[in-house]
Amino acid sequence: MNRGIILVIGFVLTFGSSWVGLVYLPYTQMQRLEPYSNELSNEVYPKPLEGSAADGRKIYIANGCIYCHTQQVRNAEFGPDIARGWGTRRTVARDYIYDTPIQLGTMRTGPDLANVGQRWSADWQHKHLYNPRMMTPGSIMPSFAFLYEKRPVDESTPDALILPGPWAEPGFVIVPKPEAKTLVDYLLSLNHSFDLPEARE
Amino acid sequence: MSADSFAVERARIDASTRLPVLVWFASALFWLVFGSLAALAASLKMHTPEFLGASQALTFGFIRPIHLNTVVYGWSSMAGIGTLLWLIPRLARTMLVFPKLLVFSAIVWNIGVLAGTVGLFLGMTTGIEWLEFPPFVPPILTFALLIVTFCGFATFRQRNERHVYVTLWYVLGALVWMPAVYVIAVTLCVYQPAPGVVQAATNWWFAHNVLGLWLTPIGVGAAYYIIPKVLGRPIYSYYLSIVGFWALALFYSWAGMHHLIGGPLPTWLVSASVVGSIMMFIPVLAVALNHHMTMVGNFHHLRYSPTLRFVVFGAMAYTVVSFQGSIEALRSFNVISHFTHYTISHAHLGLYGFFSMVMFGCMYYIVPRLTEWEWASAGLIRLHFWCSAIGITLYFVALTVGGWHQGMMAQDASIAHISQVEFTKPYLWARSVGGTLMLIGNLTFALLFTLNLMKLGKRRVGETTFRTPMKAVRVS
Amino acid sequence: MTRPDFLIFAITVGSLVFFGGMAVLALSWSVREGQFRNLEHGSQTIFDPDEPIGEVTDRFPSNEE
Repeated sequence: MNRGIILVIGFVLTFGSSWVGLVYLPYTQMQRLEPYSNELSNEVYPKPLEGSAADGRKIYIANGCIYCHTQQVRNAEFGPDIARGWGTRRTVARDYIYDTPIQLGTMRTGPDLANVGQRWSADWQHKHLYNPRMMTPGSIMPSFAFLYEKRPVDESTPDALILPGPWAEPGFVIVPKPEAKTLVDYLLSLNHSFDLPEARE
Repeated sequence: MSADSFAVERARIDASTRLPVLVWFASALFWLVFGSLAALAASLKMHTPEFLGASQALTFGFIRPIHLNTVVYGWSSMAGIGTLLWLIPRLARTMLVFPKLLVFSAIVWNIGVLAGTVGLFLGMTTGIEWLEFPPFVPPILTFALLIVTFCGFATFRQRNERHVYVTLWYVLGALVWMPAVYVIAVTLCVYQPAPGVVQAATNWWFAHNVLGLWLTPIGVGAAYYIIPKVLGRPIYSYYLSIVGFWALALFYSWAGMHHLIGGPLPTWLVSASVVGSIMMFIPVLAVALNHHMTMVGNFHHLRYSPTLRFVVFGAMAYTVVSFQGSIEALRSFNVISHFTHYTISHAHLGLYGFFSMVMFGCMYYIVPRLTEWEWASAGLIRLHFWCSAIGITLYFVALTVGGWHQGMMAQDASIAHISQVEFTKPYLWARSVGGTLMLIGNLTFALLFTLNLMKLGKRRVGETTFRTPMKAVRVS
Repeated sequence: MTRPDFLIFAITVGSLVFFGGMAVLALSWSVREGQFRNLEHGSQTIFDPDEPIGEVTDRFPSNEE
């Protein structure tokens, strides 16, 4: 019986000491997670999303974009994300402090989107969402045509899409619904290129 | 006590579990069929994106979480609960307490899963992987789960068998761990979301713990009872099985954060989880060694026992998937496999190859003992086994090979992303073929179960093997 | 300590204490109860005179009498 108690205590001490070393001590060196502010240029990063982009984030989440797209740029030692043009630096914890719920993602069936706002225009995004194969032949991304309306030409609006050559239907235009517009505003807002000090390490 | 009185006592104990266990099993099979159909739809959409592509309710981003949540909370959890509600009274040698309350808990759980699924079809996802059900669902599931935990322990308290068999440790552990893990996870991800990467860490800690501290203990624990019971042979090294349990209890909860290797988390947090993942070699090795050595000299029984086929397949898959998981946590490996279909193949080997196959085996053993009616057709049982076994093997091989190459291509910046996508298409097709076989297997089993409940099928001449407490025929 | 820092710390240390502590308590209970004495007997408790060691208890259904 005594041997049992000693065994238990010994186990706890061994286990506990290894976790103190691995968990607690490094923890004390952890970075602060407030937004970064540059006193010289008066820039603050990151800023919380507002307005249309904030609404668009909800559309992104509701449609499950996370199941095929990540929003994290890895360092060069893990992969050529930066060489692919997916970002100018790796993303760090501070990039995500206002993201709730976080959409880091775990699958790259499609490309990473952390900086997609810098790569594609609103026009491209709309056409791509309407029918991905129109802009990227061979794409397996689902079509989000249900976020758009097909209307006769005489009911057209200024934000109507002009579909490329063979895809255009004479007499009809494609008009984005509000969800599509806010979603694209969100995608355009995705930009984690701000030069954070910890990302340079 | 004479042999017959043992048989009578065992029959009484089994009978006390009949109603709740059959209700949990029937519900589980409903969700298995539903979840498998959603799975096939999702799989087809990946290589044929225009398939059922017009409506938002069926878009991939809706169907994928519907599939995941119905097979995890609908099929897997309910089959697991049914199994442990049969195991606990057996191992404690006492009647199951409050069977009607347990039927009520099954109804409540079903309401939770159904409401959650409808919510997902309506676009009310939380956006958090493995926790997509809308926020009104977790309290419903937690309430039902706590009833099960309470009844499990209340039954245990009245035990007539002084020794706590290893299976009982595993399932009682699961009944304590799951509510704790679930409540912590929904609090920190859904109700009081922690900001940014803390949420991601908690999210994946939860997802992995559902596997390691809920489904794995139930599956491994059940195998530790069923394999020796079917064979009539005690576990090879009981001491090792106990060591394996305690190692799991102490190490598994740390493995979850390896999902975020290379990501924006502090390195110490990820390193801690890598250590935990490697330490899992110990309990896995213990389980693998034990099951193998118990089976040695007895593999011919796989020809005669449906239960054994499924459970042994599952136990072998457990060994493979666990070693694969430990290796995936190593950085040099993870750099390739992260973000690819490789991860999906690992997940399905665990959830279907291991857990579902073990559950099938347990249900093949348990159901006739509760309904006192034999399975209608050996041919259909064989069809189920081969469709499921070949299906998951094809699935696993296709996505492991495809995913690995996908990862290798991703490491080369000169290869455009779309080329990666083109490359994986044949493998995604192969996965759909494997998945179709799995669906056929699942439907076959649902049919067999229904036939058994309705006491249909081939007319039995004479007693069934399990009708009366008589000695099983020795098969040589 | 900022809120995210505190939350990470709380989750990790909290998990360690809760799960580890419970495992330790359960382990010490079983040592006291004598669960680890005579393990060989333990592996045999799932058998009984009606379903003894040496007899298989499952088979494919058949039409035999």
